[in-house]
Amino acid sequence: MTTTLEHTAVAEESQGGGLARYQNAGTAVAGGVLFAFLFWLIARKTMDPTGEAFNDQVTTILGCGWIIGFWFGIGAFNGPMRWLLGRDHSRADDLYYAGHNQGRARYWKYTTDHKVVGVQYIIVTMGLLGVGGLLAMAIRTELIMPGNHFVNQQVYNAFISLHGMIMILALIVAIAGPWANFVMPIMIGARDMAFPRLNALSLWTLVSAASLLVAVAAVGGLTMGWVVLAPITDQNGVGMDLFALTIVVFAVSSTVGGVNVVCTILTMRTKGMTLERVPIFVWGAITTSALALYAFPFFFLVEVLQLLDRNVATSFFVSGGGGTGWLQANLFWLMGHPEVYVILTPAVAACFEIAAVMARKPVFSYRTAVAAMVGLSGLSILVWAHHMFTSGWAPTLGGPFMVTTEIISIPTGLFFLVLIGTLWRGHIWMKLPTIWMFGFIANFIIGGITGIYLSDIPIDNQLHGTMFVTAHFHYIFVGSVLFGAVAALAFWFPKVTGRFLDEFLGRISFWLVFIGVQVTFLAMFASGLKGMPRRVSSYSVIFDHTNLITTIGAYIIMSGMLVLLGAIIKSWGHGEPSGPNPWHANSLEWMVPTPPPLENFDVMPVITEDPYNFREEMVRS
Amino acid sequence: MSIDTQADDETADARIAEGNAAHDQERHHDGGEGHGGGGDGGGHHESPEVVDGRQRMAIWLFIGGDMVILAGLLFTYLYLRGTNTEGHWMNMVGYTGHPWSYYYNVLFVKGGSLPNPTTVSVNPVSAGFYWFVTLVTVVSAGIIWFGEKRLRASRDAKSFVPIASLATVVALVALVLTIVQLRQIPEIFVTQNDSAYMAYTSYSSAILVLEGSALIHMVVLAFLGLGLSIRASRGVISGDKWYQVRLVRLFWVWVAISSVIVAAVVTTVNTIH
Amino acid sequence: MTDSDNDKTSLKSFFWLWGILTIVGVVLGLYGPSHLMPKSMSPNMHLTILTMVIFTVAAAPVAAGVYAATIYVLRNWTHKGDEPPPPAKPVRENGIIVATWVSISVLLTLFLLIWGLGALAEDNASASSNPLIVNVIAQQWVWTFQYPGTHVESNSLYLPEGREVEFHVSSDDVTHGFWIVQMGVQVDANPGVITTIHTTPNVLGTFDVRCEQFCGLNHAFMDALGDVVTPQQFSTWLAAQPQRT
Ligand SMILES: [Cu+2]
Ligand SMILES: [Cu+2]
Repeated sequence: MTTTLEHTAVAEESQGGGLARYQNAGTAVAGGVLFAFLFWLIARKTMDPTGEAFNDQVTTILGCGWIIGFWFGIGAFNGPMRWLLGRDHSRADDLYYAGHNQGRARYWKYTTDHKVVGVQYIIVTMGLLGVGGLLAMAIRTELIMPGNHFVNQQVYNAFISLHGMIMILALIVAIAGPWANFVMPIMIGARDMAFPRLNALSLWTLVSAASLLVAVAAVGGLTMGWVVLAPITDQNGVGMDLFALTIVVFAVSSTVGGVNVVCTILTMRTKGMTLERVPIFVWGAITTSALALYAFPFFFLVEVLQLLDRNVATSFFVSGGGGTGWLQANLFWLMGHPEVYVILTPAVAACFEIAAVMARKPVFSYRTAVAAMVGLSGLSILVWAHHMFTSGWAPTLGGPFMVTTEIISIPTGLFFLVLIGTLWRGHIWMKLPTIWMFGFIANFIIGGITGIYLSDIPIDNQLHGTMFVTAHFHYIFVGSVLFGAVAALAFWFPKVTGRFLDEFLGRISFWLVFIGVQVTFLAMFASGLKGMPRRVSSYSVIFDHTNLITTIGAYIIMSGMLVLLGAIIKSWGHGEPSGPNPWHANSLEWMVPTPPPLENFDVMPVITEDPYNFREEMVRS
Repeated sequence: MSIDTQADDETADARIAEGNAAHDQERHHDGGEGHGGGGDGGGHHESPEVVDGRQRMAIWLFIGGDMVILAGLLFTYLYLRGTNTEGHWMNMVGYTGHPWSYYYNVLFVKGGSLPNPTTVSVNPVSAGFYWFVTLVTVVSAGIIWFGEKRLRASRDAKSFVPIASLATVVALVALVLTIVQLRQIPEIFVTQNDSAYMAYTSYSSAILVLEGSALIHMVVLAFLGLGLSIRASRGVISGDKWYQVRLVRLFWVWVAISSVIVAAVVTTVNTIH
Repeated sequence: MTDSDNDKTSLKSFFWLWGILTIVGVVLGLYGPSHLMPKSMSPNMHLTILTMVIFTVAAAPVAAGVYAATIYVLRNWTHKGDEPPPPAKPVRENGIIVATWVSISVLLTLFLLIWGLGALAEDNASASSNPLIVNVIAQQWVWTFQYPGTHVESNSLYLPEGREVEFHVSSDDVTHGFWIVQMGVQVDANPGVITTIHTTPNVLGTFDVRCEQFCGLNHAFMDALGDVVTPQQFSTWLAAQPQRT
């Protein structure tokens, strides 16, 4: 099979690829800049310069230019054009697009190989986390004591908004991006994703959107918090237009990615790989993708309406023409709450996977694990108005939404049952992934329980809008999702690089981040209970001790993350070699060589049981 | 995970590998069937039926996402109408007419000025016209569906070309009609800080976004219809490779259905008013 | 690790751990909220703090159970080193444990719901048919309070003790969040709509009004002072205020 592949490739290499031979990230940026410039010229000529919305219109059109030019430059339009003209891909074209024999250059191209896309997602996630983390440090530095010291309020407001948005984007892709792409197709015994070109599309649309966020900062920023609820957005400068465009494109990216993951899991499984036999992470990938398919269209819609309000003087969210901010709040939270579970579910599923492999024991009650993930996703679409308890919108609906929200604690509790049940009486191998997975458990219980307080309306009437809320969701996002993401990285890193993530540095990083999270966010809970509002650049002196502690904790987290970054860089090139199956696991991603070859399998495997039957002889292999 | 074909079973391994190689050659010769359409077939050992099933699932999922957007749009429409914030669903403070009167009065007639703005109302859009555009859309969907049926029965790709082209033309007519419709959305002329521009009440806004969404769908339909025509005439769609026609038809019919839904909602709400 | 380690008697230390951690949680629940949160000046705030305490006490055994189990697992069943440990005895399903766990969490959730809905009803209940009305107007970045029936307009909030107050909240520009920190009530101030909340101040003394909804540049500084005074002091104060034209 491999020889056949080589043979075909050698024969046709020179013919494959077409236009894609000349396209890469460089041409994408060039195309983006060129089109942005052209669109800017056109906008200045065609839009009415005396109009109220002139600057918004010019900026929006310029932003569209960047996006379209970038897509042209990277090759996103090649496929549709070839389809239109009836010039479908030949086998040689497919091989070229898959990055065959292109070495490192394929990481900078519209490459369809799911393993390349997975690595690209790792890089994008790390970039986003890095920028978001720097902003977090700037925020905490400003809040080290009462009063304004380091940055002015306008800049501070821009920092909190961009920190929020960048981190949300980073966490949405942090686990599903790298691992639902890199390992999931191998796990189910597929040669690639169901639609490899859509896979490349979702990655590069994400890059085109994320790079627009940088431009948001350049044009005066976004100073309204990442939720950008009307009508305050009216006062924001043109940064708001680019922000809305970013979200619109991001929604396209995640929809395309979600369709691809769902189709892959439902239709690409190898013979015998029933849905009861797939590794549990696969269930996490499909629930999160299906939920994203429901949630992100609302995000798309709400930002399109926002753009219309700003650019063509419609009245969706402004009261002068009969609009209302509550419409936006509803549409936004219809997306906003499911999105929390889009972020959380892959972390939970990765921890299930790691717990089972490292404890040398099957997942405890696989059915419960699946039911909990699916149930949680289903419930999460019925709870959105708990973000609006204190908004004054429909007070009579408070009770029903409180009920749906609190029912969520039942499937959430099942996550702990499955994790502890899996670890109980296991033979737990304490390696780096295991340690971060334990960190997930410890932090998730705090994040979960503090969520119950906030779902209770009498308590929410006091704690809503305070640092208590901020601390709660940071326990979820940093304490749980980030820990799950690092655990997943440490677990699958050997499959990507053939090397272990440095155990020593990884452990130092773990302790720094773990202790840092407790210091930072326990003190932040105290600030919130005392009555400190969130999103403030300064605060009353009664909050000074707890804020100082929080800032110290944040620096501890940062040092831990820097150590982790060092470990990743060091191990990627020079880590200890791991072999193809370092954890002695049974699922398919560990059965293929490292790095996995193009199209993963020489012979399609046939599956007769789930991957959790750990046997003595496998340990020695 | 226990795998039947362990690597130590050399004969079985070789047999399967050889089978694959043969299949490869065969697929190579038939020109990469299943690599177009809504995406591209990932593996290369699959029958067109399998690839088609996968692509149909993707189309259904995309339609599902589109349904969420449509639900959001209708929610927007009904919510704005229900709340009628400050009574401004169909009126706002401004002027009827066109900004030209502003330029004329304020800029060209020295010292001229506009009268004080008053609350002006807009007229509802024509429900009849709405239904007419919907009818054209439904007809285009019907044509493509008829074409698919014929193609599947007769296996004659050449005769499918004019049908697909006709459907495309009808979709283009619907597209042009939608543009006409968009231009009829009532606007109100407002002035603010020495600038004058046209603004939309929440009623006009909701109509605008519904019709804008329809317009984008028409563009996609025209693209798909044109693609089918070209592909059929180039022989990429042949008598027994009609699967892509069905994929396109599924989306086309959904667009027609959504058009009917929107027209029904808009009509009902218009008549209540 | 031998199977004798898995002897049931060894679970004793788990239960000890669980018990101790539960007590720690209960103590934290009893003292934490009331110590950290602002002093209560209304029945609503009293209810909020009470609910915080009840929920913390109820959650203590759950969190303690998870922590105790995790620590117990870490103490008894971990292996170090570069060689993987041998397979453990597989337990794929245990219907009784799953059913017990689900039942307990359903019961706990029911408790949360019953308490929460009861508290919500009490929170919303109107104590009097003749409340004092106060109009609250937010604008970037000041609060203005009007007392209908008079022409008084003030930037600090004076309230009489013991009488129910109904706040009619609106905004002149963007959305703000009206929050009386010591009374446990919040509602957004929106342009174009009036939202209401009510509470009954029951302790004399000063309190804080803060904005809890992000509202732009000076959001951090958008607060106002408040004072709960006796009804007599309140009428004197009202009469002494300059009249708005
Ligand atoms: Cu939520
Ligand atoms: Cu504020």
